[in-house]
Amino acid sequence: MEKISIAVLKKAAHTLLLDMSEEEYALLQSEFDILLNQMDLIGNIKGIDDSAPMTFPFDVTTESMREDAPQDPTPVAEVLKNTGHVYADQVKLPKVVG
Amino acid sequence: MNYLDMTIVEMHHALIEGKTTPIELVREAIKRAKEDTNNAFELILEEQAIKEAETIGEPQPHNLLWGIPFVAKDNFSTKGYPTTASSNILNGFIPLYDATVIAKLRELKAIMIAKATLDELAMGGSGTTGHRGPTFNPYDRSHQRMIGGSSAGSAASVSAGIVPFALGSDTGDSVRKPASYAGLVGFKPTWGRISRYGLFPFAPSLDHVGVLARSVADATIVATAISGYDPNDATSSANPVPDDLHLVTSDVSGMRIAVIKAIVNSPHDKVIKQKFELLTSELKQRGAQVDLVSMRRDLLDAIYPIYITLSCAEATSNNANLDGIKFGPATWGATYAAAMMAARTKGFSELIKRRFIIGSYALMRENQAALFLRAQKGRGMIVAELKRILGHFDLILVPAAPSIAPRFIDKTDKLSEEYLIADNHLVLGNFSGFPSMTVPLGLKEGMPFGVNVMAKAFDERAVLKLALAVEEVTGLKSLMAKGGDTK
Repeated sequence: MEKISIAVLKKAAHTLLLDMSEEEYALLQSEFDILLNQMDLIGNIKGIDDSAPMTFPFDVTTESMREDAPQDPTPVAEVLKNTGHVYADQVKLPKVVG
Repeated sequence: MNYLDMTIVEMHHALIEGKTTPIELVREAIKRAKEDTNNAFELILEEQAIKEAETIGEPQPHNLLWGIPFVAKDNFSTKGYPTTASSNILNGFIPLYDATVIAKLRELKAIMIAKATLDELAMGGSGTTGHRGPTFNPYDRSHQRMIGGSSAGSAASVSAGIVPFALGSDTGDSVRKPASYAGLVGFKPTWGRISRYGLFPFAPSLDHVGVLARSVADATIVATAISGYDPNDATSSANPVPDDLHLVTSDVSGMRIAVIKAIVNSPHDKVIKQKFELLTSELKQRGAQVDLVSMRRDLLDAIYPIYITLSCAEATSNNANLDGIKFGPATWGATYAAAMMAARTKGFSELIKRRFIIGSYALMRENQAALFLRAQKGRGMIVAELKRILGHFDLILVPAAPSIAPRFIDKTDKLSEEYLIADNHLVLGNFSGFPSMTVPLGLKEGMPFGVNVMAKAFDERAVLKLALAVEEVTGLKSLMAKGGDTK
């Protein structure tokens, strides 16, 4: 397992495209000491590695097929109301491909 | 008594008999919302609510929610009205559609008068981390005590008598814990019963829609009205919703009730323990079988770390769309990543960022097997243990919280090793998806506390039966805090 350090926490933060102040990273590092102790409690469960992982409480399956139902698309103006960057009736993005 | 202080059924009769009108109820609710001193709201929908009340049409004798004012937590999408989940990254966001539960209540002509504040993105349990600051417990006039979260504003608005019910969401205990602190009934039916379409996701494998109300009957009326299959939610259950829950009685004779020993024996306030013991002996006198049962201690100790690992990991991906570009405060950068980094760094509070980083750490390739996968395995083992218990019993009954609402200075949202079991066991209902309801149990120093009831998946009937019996035993129904006094 990756050992906790400020560098590791920064890596974890930057993976999610967010950042914090140095003080906040320091606080989080101290919090991780408690957290990792608590996470050890998961590893302490007898038989944990022999059990199956559970993702959802139970399977929810739908067996029926529905008919296609035509719907009006959302008006462009409504969609664009929520963005601050518009160009030619589209959401304008910063450069994506270098 | 003002009609707004009544139960939903009483209010409905008054409406049908013409003793009051939707516009009277809505005006009174909005007046009270405006006078709120507990920081319960993100937005009061005065103009819209009054317009809806004025144009509501003829009374509907068979529709209990016709003309009834309510409040929705601000993480339910409301078409045309700002929805922020109390996060700065969503300031100004106006959804393009209604959440299914909002649409259902609109169709039933219930009238939403406000959006309630919450812990940011529903990721907290204190009611202190929303972008509008802390929400106060209406029972404590000095504003020193929290109401809990994340459905803080929803609980405060019902507890303060502003509306008879509110919608909340519950990923760990976010409806049922505030219910305990606020003298309310907090109900989350089985996972899949109520559509989550339009609810901002926190951790979808754990997220539930829930209801806060002042009586078991009121919570049941609302939960039943918003339950049912929804093709827009891939996890929605097609299991038929019982239409006779209003006929359920408080007769617990023959009912087999399990009390998990390690939970009641974990640190709890003495008064809560005493009241809980009184309740169980009263239930026995009514013919119920109440037994202390064991649950593996290693599993109980792992509840919180499993929860924090799974919920934070799921939250990282569910909130990846909050980029500040398509919606939210406009930011810009030389690249998409730079723009997103700027928006997310500025838009999320410190707590949220910490939680995301915990999730990101748990999902790192080198940590995933030891943390995330093991947490999923631990969850499976805990649920298997619950099923083992419920193989012999109809229900599980435990105190909902170890204490009355804590003072702000006594509790923070930072991780704590204290009360690892007593403060976190309600998440068992989220791990398993089992129906779970908190009901008022007593008061200490004028502050309420509750008890929690949980049954097998889709057995809401059993939950209601015991909850009604608890309500009868305690006599604590329709509690309301007005200016710090219990009604």
